[in-house]
Order: sequence, then C-alpha cells, then structure tokens
Amino acid sequence: MRTSRGTTLALRSVALVYLVGLLAVPIGVILWRTFEPGVGAFVASVQTPAAISALNLSLLIVAIVVPLNVLFGVVTAIALARWKVPFRGVVQAVVDLPFAVSPIVVGVSLIMLWGVTGWFGGLESATGVKVIFGLPGMVIATIFVTLPFVVREVEPVLHEIGTEQEQAASTLGASGWQTFWRITVPAIRWGLTYGVVLTVARALGEFGAVIMVSSGFPGVSQTLTLLVHSRYIDDHNTYGAYAAATLLMGLALVTLLGMTLLDRKRSTR
Amino acid sequence: MISVTDARKTYGDFVALDGVSIDIPSGSLTALLGPSGSGKSTLLRSIAGLEGLDGGVVSIAGVDVTHQPPQKRGIGFVFQHYAAFKHMTVRDNVAFGLTIRKRPKAEVRKKVDDLLEIVGLDGFQHRYPSQLSGGQRQRMALARALAVDPQVLLLDEPFGALDAKVRADLRRWLRRLHDEVHVTTVLVTHDQEEALDVADRIAVLNQGRIEQVGDPVSLYEKPANDFVMSFLGSVARLGGQLVRPHDIVLERDRAAAFEADARTPGSPGVVTATVERVVRLGFEVRVELRADSGERFAAQVTRAEADRQQFGPGETVHARATRPADATEVDPALAI
Ligand SMILES: Nc1ncnc2c1ncn2[C@@H]1O[C@H](COP(=O)(O)OP(=O)(O)OP(=O)(O)O)[C@@H](O)[C@H]1O
Ligand SMILES: [Mg+2]
Repeated sequence: MRTSRGTTLALRSVALVYLVGLLAVPIGVILWRTFEPGVGAFVASVQTPAAISALNLSLLIVAIVVPLNVLFGVVTAIALARWKVPFRGVVQAVVDLPFAVSPIVVGVSLIMLWGVTGWFGGLESATGVKVIFGLPGMVIATIFVTLPFVVREVEPVLHEIGTEQEQAASTLGASGWQTFWRITVPAIRWGLTYGVVLTVARALGEFGAVIMVSSGFPGVSQTLTLLVHSRYIDDHNTYGAYAAATLLMGLALVTLLGMTLLDRKRSTR
Repeated sequence: MISVTDARKTYGDFVALDGVSIDIPSGSLTALLGPSGSGKSTLLRSIAGLEGLDGGVVSIAGVDVTHQPPQKRGIGFVFQHYAAFKHMTVRDNVAFGLTIRKRPKAEVRKKVDDLLEIVGLDGFQHRYPSQLSGGQRQRMALARALAVDPQVLLLDEPFGALDAKVRADLRRWLRRLHDEVHVTTVLVTHDQEEALDVADRIAVLNQGRIEQVGDPVSLYEKPANDFVMSFLGSVARLGGQLVRPHDIVLERDRAAAFEADARTPGSPGVVTATVERVVRLGFEVRVELRADSGERFAAQVTRAEADRQQFGPGETVHARATRPADATEVDPALAI
C-alpha cells in the first residue's frame, strides 16, 4: 500500500505537533525562564547551600543505587536467560512490579516496613540507624523504583546473543568467570549501558517514593527533585524551582551524553 | 583415540542417544552421518563436554573425561554458525585460547599469524567477524580451534550454512589441512556426499544408534542394512531387492538378459520394464522405467551405452543387476 503525499504530510505534522507540544515546549519554557534573567542568576540559585546539598545527596543516591542495580540486574538477567529458574513467571512479575506500582505506594509500604512502628522498626531502636527519614530509606525507595531497568535491558540481549559464543569460549579453555568477563560482558554492553542510563535518569528524577521516606529538611535530606518541589510549593520561589529543574535536566543530559560517548569510544562497531 | 562406550542421553521421554559405542582412532577423520534428529550433534557435544550424558563413558587419549568440563578436555570445537566472538578482531578471536592460557605475547602473535596464513586469512588480522564472508568466518573459527593444539577437533556441520560451491571447496581444503596437521577429527554432517568426500571413516547414525562404522568404500559396497545402503548413495528397487542404479544393466534382447543374469548368483533376476523417460545428466544418463508389475525405478547408464542402445520412451527393455545386492530384507519406504 502506498500512502498519498497528503496523508504522509498529515501524519508527520501530527507527530511533530505531539512531540513539540508535549516535550519541547515545556522544556523550552523552563530553559527560557531559567536563563531569562541571565546566567549569573542561574549560577547563584544553584549555589545556595541547600542546592549544593541537594545536588550532593542526589548524586550520592545515584552512586549507591547504580552499582547495586547493575549487580542485581545482570545476575537476575543471566539467571532468567540462562539458568533453570523455578517459578520463572513469578520472578518475571516481581521484576516488573515497580513498573506497575505507583511510587507513592512504594513509599507508604516502606514506612510500614521500616518505620519505628513497622515490622523492621526494631532495627532503628536497637542500632540507632535511621532508615525512614534517613539516607537508607531514600536509597531503598530509589532501588525499588529503578529495579527493572537493567534486567529488562540486559535479558533480551542475552537471549539474542545465544549461548554458542560462551560455549566456544569454554571449549577454548576459558573458565566460567573468564567467559563472563571476556565474552558475555562485552556482548551485553549496549543493553547494560542503556539500563544504567535509565536507572540514573530515574534515580535522579524519582519524587513520589522519596518524598514519603525523606524528612525533607533543606540542606540535609532534600534531593534535587525535593528541592524543586519545596522551592515551588513551600517557598514560592518560582525562579529557584526553574533553576533547580534545569540543573536536574542538565545532569540527565550529561549522563546520556557521557554514556553514548563512552560507548562509542569502546564500541568496535 | 576417542572412545565412547554405551552413551545414553534422554530429553524427557525422548531418547537422543540409545547406547552408542564408538572408537575413533587417533589421526583419523571420522564423519558422523545421519538424518536430521538422529543424535549426531548430541554425540559430538557429549564428546566435547557441552552436553552431559545420562549414562556411559567418554574417554580421550585413554583418559576418562566423562565428568570433566569442556575446558579440561583438550578439544577444539567448530560450530555450524561459527560462534565468532563478534566484538573481537580476527586476530583476537584466534588468539583467545592462547590469551586465556597466558602465553607470552610474542609467541601468541606468531602462532596466530602462522595459523591465519594456513587458513588463508593472512592480512585479515584487524577485521571484525562482521566484515568476513561465511566461509572466511568458518576458517577463522577453525584457526581459533586449532590455536590451542587440541588433541581432537570436533566440527558440527561446519559448512552447513554455506552455499554448495564454497562447501565443496572448504571440505577439500579441510581434508588437505587434516593431511598436514593430523589432528584426530570428528565431523558431523547429514550430507552423504560430504562424508564420502572427506572422511576416512564414517559412522552412520539413525534414531540415536550407530548403524554401521567403516571406511567409505566398505560402507558403500557392503552396507550392513537397507538404512545404510539408502542413506549412502542412491538405490533402486529391482525384483524386491535394493540395488545401486549404476549396477543395473538394460538389454533389449530378452534371451541375452536372462543368460547374463544366470551367471550372477544371488541376483534379483530379470525385470521387464517400459522406458518412461531418459534424462541426460552430463556424463551419465538416467533411464526412468516402469516394471510390468507397475513398480517404478531408475537405472543409471553411461552416455556411451545410452548412445549405443538409443533408448526411447515407450520401448520395452530387460533390466538386470550386475551384482547381487548385499541387503536382504527390503523396506519399501526406503526404495526410490
Ligand atoms: N535440548 C533439547 N531438548 C529436547 N530435545 C532435544 C534437545 N536437544 C536435542 N534434542 C532432540 O534430540 C534429538 C537429536 O538431536 P541432535 O541435535 O543430536 O540431532 P542431529 O542428528 O544433530 O540433527 P541435525 O542434523 O538436524 O542437526 C532430536 O530429535 C532433538 O529434537
Ligand atoms: Mg545437529
């Protein structure tokens, strides 16, 4: 079937309007509002003690969550793709659960579990480690919402590359560990990269689950997303919210760019 | 020498290997031949350790390796679809086994370059597998398997994914390589021509069992049963027996046919038939016939003979076999 010129044009226009209207315009507005008063104002706004602390906290959470999720994600993906896993369907569903559950529900359930009166609340009274309203709670919440990304990106790649290269490596004398590092890891590199980018982006941007388990003190326990929220809602500091949002967006962009460049450099073709 | 004793392997209810025993002499090139699903790959992969057996023993060079992983068996394995390491150059692919063994860099480099020259890939060191043709990829895979000086080389339909011309070239090349390197080689194939062409021993598999093992000539001339006979080379059914089409002689003179047949003890007798079609296949001519009993068969005669006799459709001829068939019981399903 051939589509007429008119139809093609119409379809393209719809797609363009959709993209521009829903994505480009809001982002453009934020950028415009941020830089309207000049770059100096932006720099000043993101250099307040609260902003610097929020940036550091967000990056700290990312730094903890990404390695954990890479480890868990790769192991789970290999288990699902290569091993005989009992109740495979159940495992798949559990991995996908964070996609289905609203982050705010995650936050609530974490409070029920780890809060002072929760099932594991004893831990806090016994050791003094604050899970809810502390860093551990925010980390757990972020891990929960970002859990599926690495698994979901890596598992299909494992299926696609098959087992022959790994078997060939073993006949050539490579141990399981050597095969993993020399054959499997390079083969899943793209999927893993993508999974990490998505994890970083989501970890930076997570709001619903984190706001439930954070005490939300500026300069102490606010992530960048919480900062945007509190500046806008509590402080009525609209400009500050725009500036923090721009910073957040910049971080995500840097992640995306960095990963792409890194991979282009290492990728063979 | 590779020796497999009473190998058994089942997948659920399905018996893939049903008590297979075979000895593969050192330095030989043995082909495992059989129809699809007969268990050739399963047997080869059990020798390699890529598949565990449910019963039986595999030993390589006198060492029981039944419970050893592939990396400890001293084997080289070549896969049908090459299993090239896509993210590595040709050089790194071939060097893989040596790098794993932590051999000195200079030695690895020299060995890899030597091997690439042997397999005709000199100058391709820095290419990636995606930049090679199928035949080149398979030669790279062969060099990679040979780099670790395996005691045995195992090939699972190595040329199966290539076109007919490249396949024929590569198998002759493999034969020459084998004559130079002399590594004990086992080749899986379902192509009888390939087996007859390269192997010095052939094992015919059928439904998880070995039907017969021997050199190509004795398998062709003295097949143990109808299955082997019909799987190696073509067959025709004459007077209730399986015979080779080129062993059939067609005579116009009935008396002469009977007289000649009387001198061939154990022959299937003379069958009177009508010529249906004459097909010229280059040097040979296939004469398609229909016996008076209604049974169809084909005889293969030389071009000179066909020119002399000038067979034409509709004519009556008398067919006899020049030698008795070795097969006794006839399975009608196997005749063509
Ligand atoms: N992983 C498996 N699970 C179940 N059945 C299997 C498995 N692998 C092989 N089989 C069965 O075992 C039988 C023998 O398989 P095998 O691969 O050895 O056949 P083959 O002789 O190599 O055939 P082909 O020429 O088609 O490659 C087949 O009927 C196949 O269906
Ligand atoms: Mg096979």
